[in-house]
Amino acid sequence: MALSLFAIAILASLANFSTMTIQSEFTRVIDLFQLPFMHRALMGSVLTGFMGGLMGSFTILRQLSFFSDTLGHSALLGISIGFLLGLDPGWVLLPFAVIFALGVTYFLERTRLWTDALLNIIYSSSLSIGIILLSFRDDYKGGITHLLFGDILAMRTTDLIFSSVLLVVCAIFIGLTLRSQILLTLHEPMAIARGVSVSAQRTAFIVLLSLVVGISIKAIGVLLISAFVVIPACAARLLSRTFAQYILISAGLGALGAAIGMMVSAFFDLPSGPSIVTAQLAIFLLAMLAPNRRKLAL
Amino acid sequence: MNDPVLVVKGLTVYRETYAAVQDVSFTVPAGMDTAIVGPNGAGKSTLIQAILGILPYRSGEVFVLGQPLSPKGKLPPAVRQQIAYLPQNFLFDRRIPITVREFVGLGWDRLGLQLPWAGGQARRHAVQQALTQVDAWHLYQQPVSVLSGGELKRILLAYCLVRPRRLLVLDEAPAGLDVRSESEFYRLLHQLKKDQGWAILQVSHDLDMVRRSCDRVLCINRTLLCQGTPDHSLTPENLSLAYGPEFVRYRHSC
Repeated sequence: MALSLFAIAILASLANFSTMTIQSEFTRVIDLFQLPFMHRALMGSVLTGFMGGLMGSFTILRQLSFFSDTLGHSALLGISIGFLLGLDPGWVLLPFAVIFALGVTYFLERTRLWTDALLNIIYSSSLSIGIILLSFRDDYKGGITHLLFGDILAMRTTDLIFSSVLLVVCAIFIGLTLRSQILLTLHEPMAIARGVSVSAQRTAFIVLLSLVVGISIKAIGVLLISAFVVIPACAARLLSRTFAQYILISAGLGALGAAIGMMVSAFFDLPSGPSIVTAQLAIFLLAMLAPNRRKLAL
Repeated sequence: MNDPVLVVKGLTVYRETYAAVQDVSFTVPAGMDTAIVGPNGAGKSTLIQAILGILPYRSGEVFVLGQPLSPKGKLPPAVRQQIAYLPQNFLFDRRIPITVREFVGLGWDRLGLQLPWAGGQARRHAVQQALTQVDAWHLYQQPVSVLSGGELKRILLAYCLVRPRRLLVLDEAPAGLDVRSESEFYRLLHQLKKDQGWAILQVSHDLDMVRRSCDRVLCINRTLLCQGTPDHSLTPENLSLAYGPEFVRYRHSC
């Protein structure tokens, strides 16, 4: 539906232009595609979208959606610590995300309060502290919108290399431990009885998830990052019957949504994070309308 | 084959600050059906979870198929492969997309690092055989989420069957079934036990079933109160020790 709204907006704007402007618009689009930043942005979004969908498939089943949201919000704290220390925030963010994720997991296991309530405390406080720290830096106030909602220009070549490596690691990890992951997701004691090391598997998954969140923050932004992990997986759930299909469709839809969103962001000069999330929402709504939904017996 | 599949010596398991199971010793001989009975909170589930390595134990020794289980629950993978565990009320999130065939296949896998397509033909064949044996091959493409209670239990038995095992550990496996499905479940379980030579260790509340079909019984209320054949162990005195005198009076007036 959102996709059709996009289409209507495009058609409406096109109708107002003369043939000349259509031509100039077309040239602009072609030119845009030839810019190196656009190549990086598209490749980066496809890579991170694919990873988001892949890891997201297990994230939602294990009810870690809110956990990934917390990781995303806390990333702002990592970025602001990087600024305060005078380091490149991009490089501070990844180790910070991993340590933070492991710390939160340990904390959640040690307390008896409700997980969602604790996560709420963690994400709101880390977001608040992050914003307060950033406000000490006058020169960065303008950049907050980019941090919150993503910046299409932020994708550097090093990010692309890191994303590619991380995607390969995630795919190998999920591939080689797939059966253990499925059984663990279905029934933890049954997995332990079969010799699956729950703590090792869980830690590895959370480390990878935090790296995926950390690397995707630049394009999607702190506030929307969890949608990037959650929406493709939910759409895939509506479209799939078997577990194998579910994971593949989730990864594919993640990449598709990110690519469409990134293009829309470039063409209409919109912030990249909201554009990607809206594109993913459109895919999710289409998945809800898909005829084979009945087979799911949800 | 005549070696006991399970030897438990002086097992003590703590749940937080109290000993939920204290100094319990018993053996499960190969091919025999052993029942654990006792009131709620007696530590029956705790006991089997410690034996499977799901809960750590404090002291004592456990040998599964001759191999020691570490207090933290470590056991060689080759031994793990020969045990299956059916939990109490196999409740899972019904929103998880998984078909019957995929689920039963999980019972076949070795669960170490392996390629997702490993096994291929052999895996498919084993799954088909297991599902046929529990009369559920027609369900193989169904999502597990749409199965009825009785069908789900049959699929769980197929999960155990899909690879040769020597020990089955059941925690009130037929819980949630109606009377008819429950007797169906036990009929199938005992048939498979005979065919496969499984040893079974099962927690049960159904003393009549235990009398009828189990070879041995352990009465537990945190400590082991008695063990032996059902006729020998399920005497009014022992039941009174396990469940309290009120229960025995009620049973005798029935």
